[in-house]
Amino acid sequence: MTLTTGTSRLIMLALLAAGCAPSAGPPDDEATTDGTSSTNTTGDDQIVDVDKDGIPDSEDDFIDLDGDGIDDRLQDKVIDNDGDGRPDCIPGVRATSQVPRLKNIEYDRTVRDLIGLSSLNGRPPSALLATDQEGSLTDLGWSSYLTVGEQIARQVMSDPAMRAKFLLCDPATANCIDDTITAFGRRAFRRPLKPEEVTLFKALATAHNTPNGTPEEIAELLLQGFLVSPSFLMRSEINEVPGANGQYVLSSHEIASRLSYMLWGSMPDTTLDEAADTGQLSTPAQILAQARRMVADDKARDMVAEFHRHYLHMGLNTRWDTFVKDPARFPHFNEGLRPMLSQETEMFFDAIVFGNGGFKDLFLSTQGYVNAETAALYGVDGTGLGTTLSARDLPGRPGFLTRLGFLSAFSQASRTSPILRGAYIVKDVLGTTLGTPPPGAEGTPLPESDDLLTNRARVDAQTSDASCKKCHNEHINPAGFLMEAFDTMGQPQTHEADTGAAIDSTATLLVDGTLTSMTGPSELMNLLATSSDAQYFYTQKWVSHAFNRDPNSQDACTVNLLAANLSTDGYTILNLIADITQADSFTVRTLETGAMP
Amino acid sequence: MNRRIFLRGVGGAALAVPLLSSLREKSASAEDSGPIKRSVIFHTHNGCLTNRWFPTVSNGALSTASFEGTTLAGLAPFAGKLLFPRGLKMFNSYAELQTVDPHDQAMGSKLTCATIEETGSRYASSHSMDHEIANQVNPGGASPLVLSVAGGAGSNIKDVLSFSGPYEAFPAQTSPQTVFNTFTNVLNSGGEMTAADYQLSRGKSIIDLVKGDLESYKRLNMSQTDQDKISDWLDLLRDVEKPIVNAASCNPSTAAALELDYYIAAAGTASGGGSSAFGGADVSETAFKYGASAMFRLMALAMMCDTNRSFIFTYPGYAIYKFLGHSHDHHGLSHRNGSFEVGGTCVNGVLDMIHEVDMFFAEKYVELVTLLDQFDEGTGKLLDNTATMWLPELADGNAHNTNNLPIVIAGSLGGYLKQGQSIDLEGNIDTGNSEASCSNGNSSVGFGTSSNRGRVPINKLLLTIMNGCGCTAPGGGPMMEWGQFDSASLSAGITKPGELSELRA
Repeated sequence: MTLTTGTSRLIMLALLAAGCAPSAGPPDDEATTDGTSSTNTTGDDQIVDVDKDGIPDSEDDFIDLDGDGIDDRLQDKVIDNDGDGRPDCIPGVRATSQVPRLKNIEYDRTVRDLIGLSSLNGRPPSALLATDQEGSLTDLGWSSYLTVGEQIARQVMSDPAMRAKFLLCDPATANCIDDTITAFGRRAFRRPLKPEEVTLFKALATAHNTPNGTPEEIAELLLQGFLVSPSFLMRSEINEVPGANGQYVLSSHEIASRLSYMLWGSMPDTTLDEAADTGQLSTPAQILAQARRMVADDKARDMVAEFHRHYLHMGLNTRWDTFVKDPARFPHFNEGLRPMLSQETEMFFDAIVFGNGGFKDLFLSTQGYVNAETAALYGVDGTGLGTTLSARDLPGRPGFLTRLGFLSAFSQASRTSPILRGAYIVKDVLGTTLGTPPPGAEGTPLPESDDLLTNRARVDAQTSDASCKKCHNEHINPAGFLMEAFDTMGQPQTHEADTGAAIDSTATLLVDGTLTSMTGPSELMNLLATSSDAQYFYTQKWVSHAFNRDPNSQDACTVNLLAANLSTDGYTILNLIADITQADSFTVRTLETGAMP
Repeated sequence: MNRRIFLRGVGGAALAVPLLSSLREKSASAEDSGPIKRSVIFHTHNGCLTNRWFPTVSNGALSTASFEGTTLAGLAPFAGKLLFPRGLKMFNSYAELQTVDPHDQAMGSKLTCATIEETGSRYASSHSMDHEIANQVNPGGASPLVLSVAGGAGSNIKDVLSFSGPYEAFPAQTSPQTVFNTFTNVLNSGGEMTAADYQLSRGKSIIDLVKGDLESYKRLNMSQTDQDKISDWLDLLRDVEKPIVNAASCNPSTAAALELDYYIAAAGTASGGGSSAFGGADVSETAFKYGASAMFRLMALAMMCDTNRSFIFTYPGYAIYKFLGHSHDHHGLSHRNGSFEVGGTCVNGVLDMIHEVDMFFAEKYVELVTLLDQFDEGTGKLLDNTATMWLPELADGNAHNTNNLPIVIAGSLGGYLKQGQSIDLEGNIDTGNSEASCSNGNSSVGFGTSSNRGRVPINKLLLTIMNGCGCTAPGGGPMMEWGQFDSASLSAGITKPGELSELRA
């Protein structure tokens, strides 16, 4: 019998909680919470001996608080012994795979940057690859690499521009194939080839392996060989130079590859390659200089957009993609608005980040993007606007949380949802971890009675049961009520449409461990812009995204350091991203010794 | 194929590698005397209107009349080849063993009968049945073929039904061309030296190159997981080198007869799980209709070429069926209110819309069954040698219940299963109450839409199919246990071992 770590504790909590609803309808988690049962407060983590075995955690090779026989740092993602909702900082380097395969999106970008090819028959090459998957390569995955490699090689040889990126000489001339193996191989493998690898490629690039033995055929076969080589398909970190504490020091080429895939999702460029070749990536300052150069490049924009889509829960099958509005009340709603509002939101984040904005600007900037249709909804002058989004100032709309996209996606069809809006702000912005709602919680009907004149009053009554109150009264509802100044389409409202009752958007919310009374969205945005919790969790999400691993106690040390900078004036989000490369763990690796969930 | 990680699977299944190898040899020799048997799972999300779905006979022989007026009316011609195992439940419904999310638990635990990770990926803590079958009986230990259509390739737990090992998602393939490309060498083997043969010899030299590259990784000091990745890749190369032995029907003319070119082209260019996959009505319509047809045909081809014996086809769960005239996504419709939340107000005409999606799924299932029934492989039709099972995520989508699951199996699994029967495994089974809300002028979504009956553990059904496919227990003989639990108690473990003898022919 194998028990998932933590299972029994969570089940106990769920069982202890009394049912919130009169009926037993099971909820979906989309609307409220998940995770463990502690509430975040501010507080500095200290290096501790969590299992009290007398060995400091940084030196302890076995910590197993839940007694499942597996070191918590391997199977469990987070040690939070002080219960502050943030992983404790345990110095060390999180073990990850040394041989992760390129994700499909990385494959496409790498092929684009390596040989200038971005489509096969009008589709990205990865459209023919197997679905992204961790773990071992499957037969289908391998077969698809072979097929796509062959197709790319054929196309490159027939296209002079692409061919020139592969071959620097006429393959019929002496030494051209050998020179190509060395020069192209350096770029394809993101490091110089080892002598035995050169031998392997020379053995491949011979006449008897091709139908007619022509130089053209040989060159094409050579390219195909590179494209299916494990050293091309995997972002290998195999340098075995030992460092401190049983760690291994990454080679300069491995650091270059980490930089480029972290910041661009693609291979290094010429400048980075030269830096790696000349040993110019050996100090934190050299790495930082490259990182700053790279985040200012347009190639970083996709990565930043991808991060914020994740931060906002945006994408396929999400609220942003499927929300609808009651046509009787909102006749101007149409499905075409949905992608437009997602795009508007993405453009806002892009403008803030690449306009050298800081964390607070995400909550305070009134820079916006509208077209003729959304200008009307925002109540700004839309003269001269068509369907394309253009920059406009949006007074009274500080930050992304007061824009049409968030407000309408996190609402119901005919009424706002203080719970959806509040849960997003509390969980995803402030990082508060709330208990799993008790069984049936979301089946709790919204009370309808003559004395409940506002949506707020109805939601209050809906969550008045003792088992709901803890999370809803202190956290979720007040955050949502502060946003009641905007209706379900995101337009200002002062009275309920159905009853005419006045909207009350005052509330008292626990932020950074302090209960603060506020009168509406603007005050909330001011508070979030300077909240240490919000800064911490935004940073945590960035570190997690950059290293492609869930938050954990080793990375928590990096998060602590970086988050402290966000309140500094002039510290930009691009600074934050570049500074992730200054983590101790950026230049070393440690051996993974067990399976992680 | 991820054998080693698989072996670290569920507690209790502590197999040793050499034993597994000998099992595969055993099953290979056993199949000489009988048909090749395969498991096919057709999976759909968000439940259905259960009271319209089941045949009118809940226990006893089926006839064409048993399907009149039901969602499955299109299956009537196959009445004699169907089996309805009634009263089955996947334990680990919401707030039972775990309290995470009803959909995530249904996806993660359905084929694994294992708990899911609770705070991050929510992936299952053990491998799924399709991988067990693939590991035990697939030629060369090939991975199962897990297929979907555009929008179904996500790695979010809400899209993932198949797990290759603990916490290892095995997302679906959505590009039929990618799957078809795997048959290139298989279909072209034999005959005179052709351009294709040059390709093969070129392929051989590339394999040597890749092998050389991988061998250098093998010499490094890496974690067990990473070493396995390298060894498993090397295993794939060895499999490629093996001579291809195919049935006579595995040839280009079969591919032509299946009209694969037509269906692959008709499926459209959308693939993967990207946010643009549902960008327009045309995309989801072509992918959902023709993309599925292409995948069904590829499953048939894989059966005829015996490249795989373990299949899953699943539709994405959160699409808007614009081609049915809907503006709410299927998940929202299943909640009756058109949204992610539960409770609230019924969408006008919501039951009809749910039924339209149910009917679409039924039409596609009938298409799959019909297709497999067209090809005779000597030991019977392809269909006869499969268990082609429609397995839903949930019973009723509003109640999110996983008891009294609407399940139908077409084909006898090579004579292993009864045919033409509905079998009430518990007694007094009902058809559920899916129309309790949002009908007769009632516009408020209530929660009495489920059935309280039908709590026979699904583990037993999965075991029956695994055994029927030729899987065996570590010590030999039929498998007796699957998963971590088969009741609402995790600590009780497996309380009802063994397969469902009631279903055996």
